[in-house]
Amino acid sequence: MTLSLVLQAIFAGVTNGIVYALVGMGLSAIFKGSRVINAMQGEFSVVGAMTTVLLLTKAGWPYPAAIAAGALAGALLGAGLELAFVRHMARKNASEDSFLLLTIGLALTLSAGTLFFVGRDGYLLPPFGEGVLIVLDAVIQFHALWLIAIGIGATLALRAFFHRTSVGLSMMAASIDADGAATTGINVARMRTYTFFLGGLLGALGGILVTPLVAVDYQLGLNLTLKGFAAAVLGGLTNPLGAAVGGLTLGLVESLAIIGISSSYKDVVAFTVLIVIMILMPNGILGRAGRRGG
Amino acid sequence: MSLSSFARLTGAAALVGLSAFAAPTAPASAQTSGDPIKVGAIVSVTGAGAGLGGPERAGLLLAEKEINAKGGINGRPLKIIVEDDASNPDTALSKANDLVFNQKVVALLGPSLTASTVAVGGVTHANKIPQIAFTGIGPAVERERKCLAHVLPPQKLNAQALLEYAKNIKATKIGVLHDAGYGNVVLAELKPMVDKYGVKLVAIEKFEIGATDTTTQAAKVKASQPDAIFIIATSATPFRNIKQIQATQPIVAAIGSSSYDYVNAMGPAADNIVIPEFLVGEDPLPHQKAFVELFKQTYNSTPKNYEAAAYDAANIIAAAIKKVGPDAGGEKLCAAMKTPYSGVLANYDFSADDMTGIPVGSYIYSKLVGGKYTRTPFRVTQ
Amino acid sequence: MTSSRPLSSYVTLGLALVVWAILPFVVPRHVADLLVFTGIYTIAGLGIGLLLGHCGIVNLAQATFYGIGAYASAYCTVMLHLPALTGFALGAALSMALAWLIGRPILRLTGYFLALGTLALSAIASALFFEWDWLTGGTLGIGGIPKLDLLGFALDRPSRYYFLVWIVAFACMAVAANLVDSRTGLMLRAMRDSSTAAAALSVDLQSLRTRVFVVCALFGSLAGSLFAHHASFVSTQSFTVDRSINFLLIPVIGGATSIPGIVVGALFITFLPEFLSKLGDFHQILFGLALVAVVVLVPDGLMGALGRLRKRRVAAGNGHGG
Repeated sequence: MTLSLVLQAIFAGVTNGIVYALVGMGLSAIFKGSRVINAMQGEFSVVGAMTTVLLLTKAGWPYPAAIAAGALAGALLGAGLELAFVRHMARKNASEDSFLLLTIGLALTLSAGTLFFVGRDGYLLPPFGEGVLIVLDAVIQFHALWLIAIGIGATLALRAFFHRTSVGLSMMAASIDADGAATTGINVARMRTYTFFLGGLLGALGGILVTPLVAVDYQLGLNLTLKGFAAAVLGGLTNPLGAAVGGLTLGLVESLAIIGISSSYKDVVAFTVLIVIMILMPNGILGRAGRRGG
Repeated sequence: MSLSSFARLTGAAALVGLSAFAAPTAPASAQTSGDPIKVGAIVSVTGAGAGLGGPERAGLLLAEKEINAKGGINGRPLKIIVEDDASNPDTALSKANDLVFNQKVVALLGPSLTASTVAVGGVTHANKIPQIAFTGIGPAVERERKCLAHVLPPQKLNAQALLEYAKNIKATKIGVLHDAGYGNVVLAELKPMVDKYGVKLVAIEKFEIGATDTTTQAAKVKASQPDAIFIIATSATPFRNIKQIQATQPIVAAIGSSSYDYVNAMGPAADNIVIPEFLVGEDPLPHQKAFVELFKQTYNSTPKNYEAAAYDAANIIAAAIKKVGPDAGGEKLCAAMKTPYSGVLANYDFSADDMTGIPVGSYIYSKLVGGKYTRTPFRVTQ
Repeated sequence: MTSSRPLSSYVTLGLALVVWAILPFVVPRHVADLLVFTGIYTIAGLGIGLLLGHCGIVNLAQATFYGIGAYASAYCTVMLHLPALTGFALGAALSMALAWLIGRPILRLTGYFLALGTLALSAIASALFFEWDWLTGGTLGIGGIPKLDLLGFALDRPSRYYFLVWIVAFACMAVAANLVDSRTGLMLRAMRDSSTAAAALSVDLQSLRTRVFVVCALFGSLAGSLFAHHASFVSTQSFTVDRSINFLLIPVIGGATSIPGIVVGALFITFLPEFLSKLGDFHQILFGLALVAVVVLVPDGLMGALGRLRKRRVAAGNGHGG
């Protein structure tokens, strides 16, 4: 094993880790704001990316506008699904399992819908910045560097949003104690809609950012959801910053397992490490602070 | 929107869908008359196998249309009843039961995936229904099923085709990047043959089906400094990753990677990749030209291996039914099916041991150049 | 389960039994085939329902035990040429042992951590099924699993195998009902609703949860073995994380706390996709929408809705009596 190979594994691990982190952050944000586990988070990524692809290639929109539209599409989808289904179910005091079933059903619908309307093809988006950076024979795409930077930026922005802005604080308050929040005049239902808007936005953004590296197709959603779920849970589930750390951990464990042990057992190793981490750190990777919200 | 109106909307949508899509697949031509001869088909139109089932269905329906336009089978129209197994072998089994016992089909075409083929084969074999599968022969149990033919080569032959090309370009050290499903199967056939071809597998790296990134595995393959790299997968991801880390070795891919869907997803990486396969629509062999033209006219797109395989299968079974008549029974139909046949995809001989009979000389070697398929002049001489 | 039953209830039960017995002979063969799958999924879903409805645990690892049961049966009969019962027994033993070993550390987790833990287990098992193809045959699988023979009857068609599967299902339902009604069941529900209170009553939570997890694994393994002898072929595609998710749907759709609800859930996931597939290429979309419709319209499961309907009718009868 050469240094070059280790470096390559780290590059790949961090890149993948940030992707998982972005999906996990959206999942975490939605859970934080509504206590719903969103099994369709990956589908937001697919919808956002596909919208951008279609607007760019079929409608000839300029790239930045297409990206904005794609992100907005994911956000609106999230908010729309909240208004159509979640709100109704919350009023009926549905159980957590019911919400899970709802999001699983929606995930299946969206994935099948993508196959039906867009087809089997995989699509790529143009990268931000052509070319690669080579360090000691290890290669990393410039776009991956952009992805990492934007991912870190998004994490910090999200943290600031939840702790510094009044909307963010209201959202947190509404989820921690709905009745208490209501007495202070916070519109709990509307906060939940905002939460899903935010989750959809993050998911779509993640999808758009990852598509220049990984072709988006109708099957990508479930994969991203599972990895994002792992990232979010590792991070304590209610802490988006924790999801970022969780995602990075997962990505690095995967790629280091490939070079350290073998590619044949990568999944076995990565998931075993996941289980061990959860048993040893029952409050998530960031510990008690993580649980509180960072 | 209130819940009741949403429910009504869903109901209406379902009804519209029902009326639009429950229509019969292909009308009998004016030249045919009488009860249609029913042949069943199971393909994966949805799910992970959609990349196979969609093209196969297109090939089947084209064959059905053409056969009926030319007078059907002895004057009676052919009706291919196509069912979707959603890439799930349990569903395929249920569909097979329906087609064989409910619809009383005289033969079965498909499925698209090996697991489904073996599952369905249990039903067709037990009830003496001839079957032509769109897969290469799989586990040992299939050799006992003497009426289950295959129109795609066994993985052993695919592995051999890869090695023949390596021999051609004088590559002795091979790095292999493969997936856990299809890749594992081909690799298992590859390993025993390496000595005969004088090559060494200097790197074997695996990634899971549906992996979004295989960069680290690709890097390990590159680090082993092979002369050539075999990529055995049903995904575009390893191809992109191997080019991203700037591996310069020639890449040879297995036939499972060859489809326009994957090429699209490969982006700029779809270059300098050689694939042993059977049909290059952009530059077909003389005997394939008619099919390619017909397909292009009908569907406005270029066909590849799976469309041709399904087309051949439909024609083979139609010819067999024509020879012995639709009421001859499974055993006679099976015997009629087992004569050598020169198809669009390849030359078959279902009386062969592997229930396929495709010789390694049938392969053509395509090369992806700048995202487009071209046909190299290389053929395996026997 | 009430202690006193009116005569009408016994009559209904008797009628249901008669219908159950003649059903496979009056429906077309592929419907009988689907009824067999329904039975198999009922067995697998029972365990999940126990964990979900009475312990509040989301178990996404059932495909693991389903797979172990299936491969044990396949390997024992096809490779080792042993009688089918060894496959059943080996699968059950392995599954229960694994569940006990893994259960003890994993069940210490709670909530979504536990769900992820079980999901990770399913993913690990699936990866090993693919990787250890010398044992499982990988994607090519193991074919030619013999049909079962019971008391001289060859169970080689769905209408016969149906009876074996459903008798096993009824047996499992009895075990599950016993667990639910007993003191164990009370303790489980206490633990689910308030773990601190249960702990205060010095209920040994850990060993209880592990016991139920082991029972769930046993059911999963039985279902897998029955599946192997029905399909005559097993391969890795049937035991992925998708399958675990599918099993989870069963109690959630039907209503996790009721045992008949499991049957309803199993019927749903077996028959609905089959029915919808006739409608065209977008049938998968419709299935997803159907799941959404069920959960939105009847959040406590289809059996829950039935229960509410019955209560309303009783109330109406009482209200407008005379």
